[in-house]
Amino acid sequence: MSVVSGDGQLLYRLCHHRANAWMRRRDFIASMAVAAAWAAPAGAQQSAIPVIGYLGPETPERSASRLVAFAEGLAETGYVEGRNVSILSRWADGKYLELPALAAELAASRVTVMVAPGGAEVALAAKTAAGGLPIVFELGGDPVALGLVNSLSRPGGTMTGVTSLSVEVSRKRLEFMSELSPAAKLFAIAANPTSPTVGSQLKSLDAAASALGLRLHVLNASKSDEFEGIFTSARAMGAGGLVFTSDPYFAYRSARLAELAARHGVPAITQARDFPLAGGLMSYGGDFRQSHRHTGIYAGRILKGEKPADLPVQRVTKVEFFINLKAAQALGLTVPPSLLSSADVVIE
Amino acid sequence: MVSNAPTPPRKSLFTKYFVALFAAVVVPLLVAGASEAWFGYRDQRARLSDLLDSEARLAAVKIEYFLEGISDHLSWMVQLPWSAGADERRRLDALRLLRQAQPIMSLRLIDAAGRERLFVSRIGLNRVESGDDYSGDPAVIGAIAQRTWLGPVVFQGGSEPFMTIAVAGTRAAAGVAIAEVNLKFIWEVISAIRVGQTGAAFVLDQPGRLVAHPDISLVLRADETSALPLQLLRAAIVAEPGEAVAGSDTEGNMVMATMASIPMVEWSVIVKQPVAEAFGPIYAALWRTGILLIAGAILAALLAYWLTQRVVGHIRLLEDGVARIGSGQFDHRIQLSTGDELEQLAERLNEMAGELAVSNERSERISRLKRFLAPQVAELVDRSGDDRVLDGRRVEVVVVFCDLRGFTAFSARSEPETIIRALSVYYDALDRVITAHGATLVSFLGDGVMVLVNAPVACPDPALRAVAMARDMQAGVQELLAEWRAAGHDLGFGVGLAMGPATVGRIGSEGRLDYTAIGNVVNLASRLCASAKDGQILVDRMAAQAVGRAVDLVELEARVLKGFDQRVPIFVVGTPPPTTM
Repeated sequence: MSVVSGDGQLLYRLCHHRANAWMRRRDFIASMAVAAAWAAPAGAQQSAIPVIGYLGPETPERSASRLVAFAEGLAETGYVEGRNVSILSRWADGKYLELPALAAELAASRVTVMVAPGGAEVALAAKTAAGGLPIVFELGGDPVALGLVNSLSRPGGTMTGVTSLSVEVSRKRLEFMSELSPAAKLFAIAANPTSPTVGSQLKSLDAAASALGLRLHVLNASKSDEFEGIFTSARAMGAGGLVFTSDPYFAYRSARLAELAARHGVPAITQARDFPLAGGLMSYGGDFRQSHRHTGIYAGRILKGEKPADLPVQRVTKVEFFINLKAAQALGLTVPPSLLSSADVVIE
Repeated sequence: MVSNAPTPPRKSLFTKYFVALFAAVVVPLLVAGASEAWFGYRDQRARLSDLLDSEARLAAVKIEYFLEGISDHLSWMVQLPWSAGADERRRLDALRLLRQAQPIMSLRLIDAAGRERLFVSRIGLNRVESGDDYSGDPAVIGAIAQRTWLGPVVFQGGSEPFMTIAVAGTRAAAGVAIAEVNLKFIWEVISAIRVGQTGAAFVLDQPGRLVAHPDISLVLRADETSALPLQLLRAAIVAEPGEAVAGSDTEGNMVMATMASIPMVEWSVIVKQPVAEAFGPIYAALWRTGILLIAGAILAALLAYWLTQRVVGHIRLLEDGVARIGSGQFDHRIQLSTGDELEQLAERLNEMAGELAVSNERSERISRLKRFLAPQVAELVDRSGDDRVLDGRRVEVVVVFCDLRGFTAFSARSEPETIIRALSVYYDALDRVITAHGATLVSFLGDGVMVLVNAPVACPDPALRAVAMARDMQAGVQELLAEWRAAGHDLGFGVGLAMGPATVGRIGSEGRLDYTAIGNVVNLASRLCASAKDGQILVDRMAAQAVGRAVDLVELEARVLKGFDQRVPIFVVGTPPPTTM
């Protein structure tokens, strides 16, 4: 159960056995309508109302559910797009190298605040381009280690935002996969070498592997046309499973990954719930709906005049575990009770 | 209005009555308003204390329930003693617990020997049978000593509030369960508290750090200095238990606050509401009272003005009426129909005016009498207040006629001013004599005068008195005649008097009343006068007999007089002895 404070604060999920009837009252935002609004170019802006520069690493379609969550958070602080705030968006369509140029474009458009959701790449691109502009980021990983903020409680500079535990819990994905195939000793790791957090994730995975007595084989993919190769390699080496590191590039392409995993018969686990929902086997990672809603709230608070330096970085502590039993069945796997009892959602 | 208007009063009745009436309405209103405000304030303060207090208690109970719930979950994990090998069922229980209790970030199970047997975490890797020694861990020691141990609040990474809760089994063999709990979940309880529109709650731990606040970023900031005002607020509440206390919050707003403590962790739940909002109803009531007061005052002023104006208006009407009556308008009537004492007063004044009119009429009548009565006679009538003496009756009177000889010729020759002046002097001389003898001047007719003696007021020896008067008349007028003859006017003066019964009384219309005598004696006296020569006084026989020898009378030859069949005996008053006149 979560609770909304009067001035529109964000929500925290507590024990799930409590009623979550309150969730229904958030349905007032028709998700598709909002997504459509976001997809449209933010053209005619009025100078009288503040402008949010939204730096999207992907496309509005891929980000639809995240945009809904962001709009919800914004609404909690009293801002509604088109009424008292306008949003100027730039979309990289997966080409992360273009992010700094898009960020510079937004910064030149004299936006009030820049929102850089969807990972460390976006946050770093925004940081290089923004100058003194306030930035709200949304990423998995440690923003202090990434050099974005001085500390979580006192960001200090012009940036603040939300972090999820997705990056920290990469090792848990390996653990779950090992639990599913206890006999297997070799596991394939899918990594995006261009990701700023890839180094720390691989180090953490190596440590976990040695603790669990496993061997790892790292497969790199930084473009969607390299995905197929990962699955064929994983299958060819006879790995017990394929563990995806936390990376937004992977997360946004969950449907594609699920399709490849099914086609190649590879048990895989990613960070995003979209993966098991699209037919993939498992996911373990932070709740992006929460992190994007918090991003919206922080953007709203900065529009109201608060300084990013005074807004502590919020950590979305909720981590969710999804299992798709149909996928497990298709792969000929039996999900042990330890995993079933840990799962937040079991798709049957 | 009257000419002699009195000086205006030193203090106007209008002001006095206006002030009194106004005060009579406004003072009770003020007293009522002030007392309502004061009691309303006290009631509101008491109500606020109760409301905030109950909210704080409720939040404290909920937080306690949250912590106890986690302790209960943990106690499930330490019911059975540990066996030698890995315990798969216990691992499953631990995983289910983690799924069930979202705030628990990790769970560590320690056996009786203080060794870690199981560790499950949402972030880190799970561990089974690691055997690490935890016997010296304060959580283990605390749990073994108190069964349930609640650790201090720790801010992970300098921001996220966490606390450790450890629960020991009922038997030492069951070991200890240690959970790391994310306190951000308490935020749910705290942010659910709304007092009015903007009232809220927050939680401080024993050293005074923010554990929960509706603005979660204040908690995440883990800032000691920004929590300082809240610590001061708590100190103020502790100093005055059981009552809502005024203080300022982190934003510097004045708030009313109460506190409830959570004894198991020594935390304080403080519920606050901005003063402006808490006393909003009172301010609203004060406004209402103020507006009512002003409206009441205006109404009172209007009412007082109207009433006072009415009363003063009536009094002015009375004053004006009295002034008119005083100035002689006795027919003036004061028109007042107020139905109260003023109307009574007006009626009294009207009655008074009526009586004055009657009395005035009488005095006017008397003054009219004075025209033909001698002043002393008029006085007599006046004193008696009764003019019935003037009513018609038949009495013995002496009628005296006198007139000037040659006056017609004189008046034809002379200027009107000369004639009038001469007549004026002539009448003055006669009037003096008539008055001196108490006779009644009945009428003037040109140069002739008719005088009555013994009517309307009787007198002794009327004939003698009449003769004496006639002699005085002759004496007085002859003096004038001497002057006039010197001026070349050949005038004479003759007197005739007769005595006998006559009808006397007032005759004439209402507007022009005269007192006169009717009878043969009047004719006779008139004829005698006409018959008299200058300087002569002719007397009839009746008067002569009445005078007797008191006066030297000489009987003349009886004469034929007009209107008398027989010759009338006539007496002439002899040359009087030299008089002092």
